[in-house]
Order: sequence, then C-alpha cells, then structure tokens
Amino acid sequence: MNFKTTYSEQELVALLQQRNDKAFAYLYDNYSGALYGIVNSIVTDKEIANDVLQNVFVNIWRKIESYDASKGRLFTWMLNIARNASIDELRSKGYRDSQKNQSLSENVDVAGVATVPVIDDVGLKKVLTKLKGELRVLIDLSYFQGFTHEEISKILGIPLGTVKTRIRSALIQLRTMI
Amino acid sequence: MNTLEYISSGIVESYVLGLASDEERREFEQMCTQYPEVLQARLAFELAIEKQAMENAVAPAAGVKDKIFAEIGTRGKVIAMPSATVRKTNWFKYAAAASVILLAGSIYWNISLSNKNKSLQNNYNTTIAELNDVKKDIEILQQNPNVKMAAMNGQPISPKSYATVYWDTASQDVYLMINNMPKPASDKQYQLWAFLDGQPTDMGLIEITEKPLQLYRLKKAQAAQAFAITLEKKERSDISKPGGDVYVMGKL
Repeated sequence: MNFKTTYSEQELVALLQQRNDKAFAYLYDNYSGALYGIVNSIVTDKEIANDVLQNVFVNIWRKIESYDASKGRLFTWMLNIARNASIDELRSKGYRDSQKNQSLSENVDVAGVATVPVIDDVGLKKVLTKLKGELRVLIDLSYFQGFTHEEISKILGIPLGTVKTRIRSALIQLRTMI
Repeated sequence: MNTLEYISSGIVESYVLGLASDEERREFEQMCTQYPEVLQARLAFELAIEKQAMENAVAPAAGVKDKIFAEIGTRGKVIAMPSATVRKTNWFKYAAAASVILLAGSIYWNISLSNKNKSLQNNYNTTIAELNDVKKDIEILQQNPNVKMAAMNGQPISPKSYATVYWDTASQDVYLMINNMPKPASDKQYQLWAFLDGQPTDMGLIEITEKPLQLYRLKKAQAAQAFAITLEKKERSDISKPGGDVYVMGKL
C-alpha cells in the first residue's frame, strides 16, 4: 500500500473536509493516544473512556466542516471536543449510576475496608498536582469536571469575582509548568 | 490596550483550554486578528498543550478504530483498486456503464487481495461496509437519469492522461474517476475544477496513489459546463484559483 506518512495541518484539514478516510485514519493513528489521554483524565473508567473516544472521533468526522483554522489549531479544536464529550459523559445519569454501583461493590470488601482505585495521574492532571491546594481544586473543578464559574462559586462558597481571578492565576501558573 | 498585560492575564490559557466565557472568547478572537503578538501567544500555548498531550498519549483499546470506521460509514471515501479486464461481449451490452462494472469487479478483486494483506484484514468488516456504500454509489450512477458524464481528455502537456467526471445534476454530487494520470511529484497535487461561463470553481484536491484506477467523491457542484484537472503546488496560500498546468479537460 502506498500511504502517505505525513500531512501538513492545512492539507489534513482539506482532505478531511473532502471526507477522505485515509486522512481520517492518519488522524486517528496520530492523535487517538493524545486525545484518549485527555478523555481518560476526566472519565477514569477505561471501558467508558474508550466509548467516549469513539464518539469524539465520530464527532470530529461529522463536524470537520465547522472547524475554523482562524480560531485555533486543529489539535486544540479536537482537544475541546474530547473534553466536552468527556464532561458530558461525566454528567450523564448512566455514568453516575455506574460509578455508584462500583463504589458500592468496592465498599463491600471482604476485609470490610473501602478500597479506592488508584489512578496514576498523567498529562495535564499530573501538572495539576504541582499546583498548590486551592488553585488545584479550582482547575480540577473547572477543567476536569466542567463546572462553570458560577457553580464553583456556590460549591466553594467564595465570590464569583474571586473564582475568576483565582482560576486565571492558576492558569498562569500552569502555563509555566507545561 | 497593553497587549503584554492582556496576554499574561491568563486569557490565552483560558481560551485555548475552553474555559473562557462567550464574551471573553469573542474579545480574544478580535484581539488575535488585531494584534499579532496575541495570536503568537495563542499559538505558542496551543503548541505547548499539544506537545504535552502527545508526550502523555495513552493507547486506547484496540477495537476502537474499527468501531469508528463502521459508525461513520464511508460515504465520500477514496476507493482505489487494481484494474481488471471485462469480457468483450459484455462490453457492448454495458458500454455506457462499462467503467462502473469495471469498478464493481475490481472491488471484489480488491477484497480477495485484502485477505492476503494483514493490515487490511484487520479492517475487513470496515471494508464490507465500504463495499456496500460503493455499491450504492454505483447504483446511483447507473440508474439515475440525472447523472451527466464528462470524459476529460489529455491536454498538450500530458496527451495520454484521461479521467471521467460523473455529475449528478439533482443531488449535485461529483464523482471523479482517474483512468490514467501520471503520479505527481511529492510537492505537487492534482485539483479538480468545475467551469461555468469560463469561471473555475475549486472542486477539491485529489490524492493520487499508485493504483491504476481510482474513484473519488468530491465537493458538490451547483452548476457546471465543463470540468478540468490542474497540477498545483502543495501549500498554496489560495487554493480557490487554478495556478498550474491543465492536464485533462472535458465538457459535459
């Protein structure tokens, strides 16, 4: 087979918009790991994370017409699709129920000790652990759990303006860590 | 506005990570078009995030790719196949649809070849789904009285080149069959154009592989009197106008 091994971003977008499935296979081969890493940092259940990734790529294929290069790189666009799909899953009733069942069965441990699955933080989440206490919570709630500033303000009982400024300063700190 | 202050306010990170409000997004997009340094800051952070994500890639489960391809179906895919011979007695009978029959035969041939090819074997189910889609496309071409055909003959620069456009005037879908065209240099690619009153419209870039026959579904054409393929440099800034040599051309 005579597959091209690399595409420029412009070329890739043009081919995807023509519904070229070879370019799409290339996109998957190159970016599925990075996007799965993001999905998995939000949806920790591996089986569900794989389903979410499937939806992410189907959405990329279907929505590629709406990608606007002037607003950001292709990866940024895909990253946001992946994050949004993950948060939607996190918020879905099905996911919450499955996690409830899981924690229930884990609580009913033979030794009577609740076990919590240990997840190795990777990627952005690992960077997050370097942030100090409160800033870390703010990024976790906003980026990884998808709460709005208003919701965070209510959850943490701090004024909306303070939430905004602290998230901004957490992001500025994050910037120096990446 | 002090752009340095703006850039270091956390808005860049907020925008790229999808945490900015609609109002902040609009303002930031406006700033990017106005101030190159804001755009540069955005690109730098985008690249940093991308690099970070790529370095921390986690392999998804093995079956996900196949499931995705099965779900999206394959309308608009590129079909490439080896050439096959058609018996002469049948040729006359199906003269009008000859290339289409050739295509159908070739796909079966392609599938039998694919069994020998390990990478294709993994995508066998996908191939079946693709085949059904192609069959549908062929049926549309065969039965649809709205389909017009334009045989594009080689121009002086490449007299032996030959390609065919099938244009469904009702759905406006355009299919291109590359019958014979030279493989372009690695920095060049073919582009299909539709002509109306002498004005060219971009119908899409064509990626040539080494297979002798290829069928593509390209962009939709609203109206056209003729089609042509030019050879263009890759990475052109404006792909909406032809700049290279015309290789084949044909009227409807």
